[in-house]
Amino acid sequence: MFEPVEIDDLMIAVIAGALVVLFGALYAFSFAMAKLNKERWITVVACCIFAAFSASVFVLARALHLDGYWQSITVAMLLGYLIAPQAIWKLSVGTHESSD
Amino acid sequence: MNARTLDSSHLTGGQKLAIKYFTVAVILFTAQILFGLISGYQYLAPEFGYNVLDFNVTRMVHINALVLWLLYGFIGGIYWLVEEESGTELVGLRLANFAFWLLTLAVTVVVLVFLFIQTGPGDMSTLWLINEGREYIEAPRWADFGIVVCMLIFFWNIAATFMKGKWSGISGVLVLDLVALAGVYLAGMVYTPNISVDQYWWWWVIHLWVEATWEVLVACIMAWGLIKTLGARRKIVTTWLYIEVAMMFGSGILGLGHHYFWIGTPEYWLSIGGFFSALEPVPLVAMVVHAVYDSGVHKFKNSNHPALAWLIAHAFGNFFGAGVWGFMHTLPQINLYTHGTQWSASHGHLAFFGAYATINIAIFYMALQKWRGNVYMSAGLEGNGWKWKWALGLLNGGVVGMTIALLISGYDQAFIERALGGATWAAYFDAQNGVWFIQGLWWRQLFGFMTAAGLIILIWDLLTIGRNEKRSIQLVGDNTAAEVTS
Amino acid sequence: MTTSPWWVDEDFWRKMAIWVTTLMALVLIGLTFDSVTQITAGSERVPAYSVINHRIYYRWDDSRNFQVPVIGDPAPLFGKSLTEIEAEALVSKGKITTQAKNCMNCHTLLGNGAYYAPDLTKAWLDPSWGAEVVREQLMIQFLMDPETNARGFGSTRKMPNLDITEEEARGVVAFLKWMSSIDTNGFPRNFTPIAQEGDR
Repeated sequence: MFEPVEIDDLMIAVIAGALVVLFGALYAFSFAMAKLNKERWITVVACCIFAAFSASVFVLARALHLDGYWQSITVAMLLGYLIAPQAIWKLSVGTHESSD
Repeated sequence: MNARTLDSSHLTGGQKLAIKYFTVAVILFTAQILFGLISGYQYLAPEFGYNVLDFNVTRMVHINALVLWLLYGFIGGIYWLVEEESGTELVGLRLANFAFWLLTLAVTVVVLVFLFIQTGPGDMSTLWLINEGREYIEAPRWADFGIVVCMLIFFWNIAATFMKGKWSGISGVLVLDLVALAGVYLAGMVYTPNISVDQYWWWWVIHLWVEATWEVLVACIMAWGLIKTLGARRKIVTTWLYIEVAMMFGSGILGLGHHYFWIGTPEYWLSIGGFFSALEPVPLVAMVVHAVYDSGVHKFKNSNHPALAWLIAHAFGNFFGAGVWGFMHTLPQINLYTHGTQWSASHGHLAFFGAYATINIAIFYMALQKWRGNVYMSAGLEGNGWKWKWALGLLNGGVVGMTIALLISGYDQAFIERALGGATWAAYFDAQNGVWFIQGLWWRQLFGFMTAAGLIILIWDLLTIGRNEKRSIQLVGDNTAAEVTS
Repeated sequence: MTTSPWWVDEDFWRKMAIWVTTLMALVLIGLTFDSVTQITAGSERVPAYSVINHRIYYRWDDSRNFQVPVIGDPAPLFGKSLTEIEAEALVSKGKITTQAKNCMNCHTLLGNGAYYAPDLTKAWLDPSWGAEVVREQLMIQFLMDPETNARGFGSTRKMPNLDITEEEARGVVAFLKWMSSIDTNGFPRNFTPIAQEGDR
């Protein structure tokens, strides 16, 4: 069972959905820049962006009534967007080093 | 002043064949844009072409030309790389040429029948001879068999060439993917009166092409392109190709579920489709990290600026078109309102262009570079390379503009027709007559013309780039080493 | 070279790609067997073609949280009750006609297709047909001569003349009636059906 978005929340849901992916990508970008430049302030920026990402996820989850089973999607998004960049960074370093 | 001519003696047999595929691809691309402009205009002036060249015809040609020019580009791209990749000549060049002419003849006949006969009586003869009436795969049954024969010849040629020469990771993925791509097409060739079953298999073709097998095909061509233009190392590229295949098929195959929300299929597809759709953008986002790593650590120079620019356009277009625009309306809680509205058209325009059109254009530039005799295509081209830059700007700006315009119309439609209006026919037309909706369509038309202008300049550039260039290709990365040692 | 961990190995990822793809494909194939069974005509979600012999209406289902189709009392299409075989033949005639006339490149069916003309999923139950008694006749007339019988709804968009014969039109109406009985998980949301005798 699912509870569709309320008419009044349609705009919020759409914008939150777009922001989830945008902040997700911005986080990935800033995370990689922080790793690359080893500067502390970029790490702080990356953390702030992840906070904004999480906020977008929560707004989306509320607007779309992601309860019950659908909570797993919220969790999957939070974890996926957090872990995937780290994994890809590790793989980037690993694959390039191993072929040198 | 000896201008560089297009000299086919530089090319292998497979590459000469590829040029033919690319030429037809560009012609079909032009047809796509032309019929897009007409069908867009019919929204604004419904009497235009009424009872002569109706919207269902113009729109059908618009989307079929799209599918076909992308496929022609992919096939050309594979013929372009197969001989270098396998280290041997194409095993059946004559047969491959025959298949090209057969396919092109079939396509021409199909398009002429679409335009001049259009529809037929409501019996099987129409589905066999004129029009199968299923969006994207309208080609009549006789042409389906022709397409399958041509694809089998293509597949045999590629697989046998690799078998005769040497296999690589990229070619292994490519050949397996072609098997899947052709196999899935068969799922779309059956007639059933049951519309739910019909659409179930229909989505197998459409989704498993566009969101799975095509993506992997393009990843193979890209992998090869990165080795050629950026001099990336094969071992790394191959490893990443495998990683991408795992991520794309891992999320994409069951992502099929987001098409099974409302066609009669069981409710568990809401959960499956929702879950995998939520994860589908994650690989796209994560790859940003790899891009940053690569550009930061290696500071690549590259030998083909237009091609690289189009590859960057691909990265952004794919991210926004498939990632952002896809995710915005993919969860069932919102898709219940947006499904079957201009919202889908908005997403479709940017996603197809960003994921596939951009890649094909990049391949065209790589091919031309060699065809002109390994001409210089790095910084500081004739006229500062204004033609390719304007083509890039206008095409991308045009498509992004259309996407945003259609999103406004789509939002208006979802809101008025579905959320407020009770999804009846009267509600549908309430939305279609809405001020915002119509405004959106006018802007779409304007940006359509911008796209067309970009296409004209692109063709002009493809025909002329490198003609007066005296410098030769600037080799980079591993390719320089290869050049020196060989 | 020997120090590189297993998880960056080319070979590991080749196997991973193969296993992930195989696993996902197998899951899809398994689900397909189940889904196709559940949407075969005559099932709970997709009724038998002879449903055109009955009244079709909608009822709110609290546990599923959307409207679901309900098959009501006998109300034969065109006043003649058909056997299962006859009904399938008629619906199939209509389905082929919708393909032969390329309906899907203007309309959506189950929400899929083009967006130039209204969705046909619930066309049979659309309130714009007015009274239930004249609906069948109006639909036939419209399909056979859409230009003269255009409704407009304030738009200048009109369905073109597609040379639909009476036999084909009857098939299309049967197909549309049958399609309106499919359980679409509540799509389209908030649909307001035509007022029918015996509602609620």
